[in-house]
Amino acid sequence: VIDEARLAVLTDEELARRPFDELVAALQRTVQGLEAGNVGLEESIELYKQGLRLHAACETRLREAELTITELGRRGAAPEE
Amino acid sequence: MRDDQPTLWDAAPAGPAVPEPAVEPAVTPATKPAPRILRVSELNRRVRGLLDADGLLADVFVEGEVSQPSFPPSGHCFFTLKDANSQLRSVCFREQLERATVRPVHGMNVICRGRVRGYEPQGTYQLYVETITPAGAGDLHARYEALRVKLAGAGLFDEGRKRPIPRWPRRIGVVTSPVGAVWRDITNVLRRRYPMCELVLAPTIVQGANSAPAIVRALRRLYAETNLDTIILARGGGSLEDLWSFNEESVVRAVADSPVPIIVGVGHESDVTLADFAADLRAPTPSAAAELATPDGTQLPTIMNRLRDRASAALLARADQRRRFLDSEGRALGRLAPDIGAARQRSADLLDRGWRAVGDRLERRRLLLEAARDGLRTLSPVATLERGYAVARTVDGRILRDAAAVSAGDPLHVVVARGTVDARVERTRADGTEDLLS
Repeated sequence: VIDEARLAVLTDEELARRPFDELVAALQRTVQGLEAGNVGLEESIELYKQGLRLHAACETRLREAELTITELGRRGAAPEE
Repeated sequence: MRDDQPTLWDAAPAGPAVPEPAVEPAVTPATKPAPRILRVSELNRRVRGLLDADGLLADVFVEGEVSQPSFPPSGHCFFTLKDANSQLRSVCFREQLERATVRPVHGMNVICRGRVRGYEPQGTYQLYVETITPAGAGDLHARYEALRVKLAGAGLFDEGRKRPIPRWPRRIGVVTSPVGAVWRDITNVLRRRYPMCELVLAPTIVQGANSAPAIVRALRRLYAETNLDTIILARGGGSLEDLWSFNEESVVRAVADSPVPIIVGVGHESDVTLADFAADLRAPTPSAAAELATPDGTQLPTIMNRLRDRASAALLARADQRRRFLDSEGRALGRLAPDIGAARQRSADLLDRGWRAVGDRLERRRLLLEAARDGLRTLSPVATLERGYAVARTVDGRILRDAAAVSAGDPLHVVVARGTVDARVERTRADGTEDLLS
């Protein structure tokens, strides 16, 4: 899970390599945190910046994603396996 | 030109009216009359007459394997029926083909009902098919139904067993044949929809007598994998026999055993196998299985942008709320202004008193300095910031007084009482200052 502590240490490049669903979930959490409105303006601005970073990471993933394909049992596909 | 056959055949005179050549007179070796020479068409007509006169051939059931069916634009179907030793040319006209329960497929075992007739122009005979049914279909249907009842009784098809399909899969296992359209369709769909995931293919054969154990092995190989979110078991369309391995008990049970949600997409919309019932989700086709396993990636940029817009709106609302709060705080401070005046008055009084009490010049100067500092403190911008106001500076350090001096995207340094906020202009508006002053 990408929480605030994680976000603080991850570079943009590292962030863009995280699983896509994690990024989306973190972005959703950030937006919900902002919308809840129970944090101060300063914290809201921090959350917003965090949201922008996550959004950028999602865009990078969307742009650069290439389907990875692994094939199992090429060696082990003997008839009497 | 097989295409032409029906037309020619239709045009030929129907019925058994064959101009019968005169019965050969008994041949007497002594006379040796000249042999009767038939024209080719006469001979073919005679053979045709013989076939037409045969009661069995007029309505016959033939079992065999379909070979090389062709479907020309006329809508008819031409194929060869064969067994181990022999072949029979067959034609099924469009009207009959439309009524047939199965479409002839190469290698399919069928029972054809029809009539054998000669075809004079080519000197051939063929089976004019009225109905086609899959051979052994009765058996298979009975087995299917018996197994369905048994496995349903064992609870394998219970709705309560069905798990939801993960919405954002990272790794999807696929069991299918690595050659052919199905695997290609699945990868195409996923490349288009959700290339962020990883596909793990467990290749297998999906047809023939050995396919059931092969499919089970492939599934088990995937089950041994960790971190799979979803599994897809897929195969293209085919006859009941072609799809039979997906009705084998071992395969159905292996599907039900899946440790992660499994989607089965076998054949076409209308093909329902027992493996479909055991799956967490049934897909009408392999492509549909890939779609059901993933979110629609083409929608993702829109979803992302909507989230970002919500964040912006929330932040703006937050800032607006804060501004209103500062406004009211500012007005409250305004109401306190007389007190500040009183404080000044007090310090002035103090000064006067000191002045009067202590004639010492140094002391007088110290008091003067003190009073000046008190006065400065109230005027200093730091105190203003402490009251909740902020100073926005552009990158070149100028204080921002006019919203029109910046535009969206420009960086701003917003100095507040404690620290500085580096921000970026979202948008500028001319309004907003009136209610600050109200």
